[in-house]
Amino acid sequence: MKTSALKQIIFLLVFIILLSVNGLFSQTKDPDVILNSVKEAFTVIEDYEVDVHIKIDVEFLKVPEGDAKLYFKQPNKIHVESEKFALLPKQGLDFSPLALLDDKYTAIYEGDTTINGIQTCVVKIIPIGSDSDVILSTLWIDQTRDLIMKVESSRKPTGTYTIEFTYEKYQDKYDLPSLMHFSFTVDRMRLPKGMGGQLEAENGKAKEKTGPVIGNVYLNYSNYIVNQNLPDDLFDGPKKEGIKEENK
Amino acid sequence: MIRPLVQIELYKIFKKWRTYIGFIAIGGLVIIIETAMLFEGQKSLDFMTRNLRDSFAFFGNLLNGFLISYLILNMLAVHIPFLITLVAGDLLAGEATAGTYRILLTRPVSRFQVVWSKFLAGNIYTLSLVIWLGIVSLGIGAIMFGFGELIVIGKDSIIILDRADVLWRFLFAYAFAALGMSVVCSLAFFFSSLVENAIGPIIATMSVIIVFIIISAINIEIFRTIRPYLFTNYILSWRLLFDTPVDTAKIVEAVIILLGHIVVLFGITAIIFKRKDILS
Repeated sequence: MKTSALKQIIFLLVFIILLSVNGLFSQTKDPDVILNSVKEAFTVIEDYEVDVHIKIDVEFLKVPEGDAKLYFKQPNKIHVESEKFALLPKQGLDFSPLALLDDKYTAIYEGDTTINGIQTCVVKIIPIGSDSDVILSTLWIDQTRDLIMKVESSRKPTGTYTIEFTYEKYQDKYDLPSLMHFSFTVDRMRLPKGMGGQLEAENGKAKEKTGPVIGNVYLNYSNYIVNQNLPDDLFDGPKKEGIKEENK
Repeated sequence: MIRPLVQIELYKIFKKWRTYIGFIAIGGLVIIIETAMLFEGQKSLDFMTRNLRDSFAFFGNLLNGFLISYLILNMLAVHIPFLITLVAGDLLAGEATAGTYRILLTRPVSRFQVVWSKFLAGNIYTLSLVIWLGIVSLGIGAIMFGFGELIVIGKDSIIILDRADVLWRFLFAYAFAALGMSVVCSLAFFFSSLVENAIGPIIATMSVIIVFIIISAINIEIFRTIRPYLFTNYILSWRLLFDTPVDTAKIVEAVIILLGHIVVLFGITAIIFKRKDILS
């Protein structure tokens, strides 16, 4: 009886020791530390101006490829200039981590994974409070450069979108996106017939297409000019329609 | 020989004050629409593109002269035919009403030359009305809104055309619209050959257009079968010019069908007029 009890105690002790050792050597990362590093890395960029080439690929939307000039100033001021009409995705346009991490949130470290051959750690962000449009965001972060490689964000009412970034080094010190791939779901247009003057049912047999479709937008960035101390009044112009981040 | 005859017919057309009703009506209508769009157009545009605005920020001027001109051209099928019939319905019946048929036909010209010159004059009037529509809608649109990219909202797609890619489409669209309106002119001209009072051709032509448009709009099986045979189904085919890529085959088909209508209607009118027993 004594021998049996002793065996059980020894087994328990061994188990506890093993657990402790495992705990000591496991790679548990602090998501807040990771996110703060990303924020800090981005603060070295005070402002920039960049040429953007826009390519939109949405099934029901035929738009010619366009160009615009984008101005950004910390913390999240944006100004867009375009000679022609341009459509730009609202979310992630400024690709500022500060915009994503502006409000209070809870961060959870999910693990590590590889994106395009780059080791990234996955961090989930759940906003605290009911004011935020964001329900859940997942970030894939390259810890060696403290860069967000991919964002997946669920928002109300727009749904889920994904942004993938490709970075290049500018002026030998700033890692800035050279390509942004924005993927999202968008509802087909429900069009009032009055303004279009749809007098006839053009093809009665063809069923009206409904429901959401996947859209893709590719933004190519070039000719960055970083930290040139852009004046604030550049961002004080009239708000462009539909963009809430325009002049904060 | 035909040229002086056409000139005489044009003189007769443009001497009547009713001829200018169409030009005044179009000018007034365009000004009213463009003024209304100046105040309310952005709201309508925002409403139409509301889904897209959830995902995209818009930069630039979509409410411009091209968009307004496009919307005005959409009204062509219902409103302008009436203005055309006012003149085209009077071309032959007016001679009968005025009692000038016999005097006209005592001149050393054949009946075919008479009917052909009247037909050409009617179509010149139609063409001038469409050109006027193009000038005032694009001209006033440019002054009030300027030009920019054109957004075309279809049943299940949105197309945004580069401003440099729009003007040629409008030129062809107005040319196509003129062809469609020529069918209306030919129809009114045909009815005009049957009666001796201009009111009849005007009402008959408008009745045909309204009935055809209603049949085209009601989406039931039997009407779907009939629809391809109605010329009203092709009058708005100029919209195909604002698609990318442009469906040339469909446009050519529509042009052939509309031209076919013009040839047949004029042919019947010419036969009727040639065999007509002129008593007035």
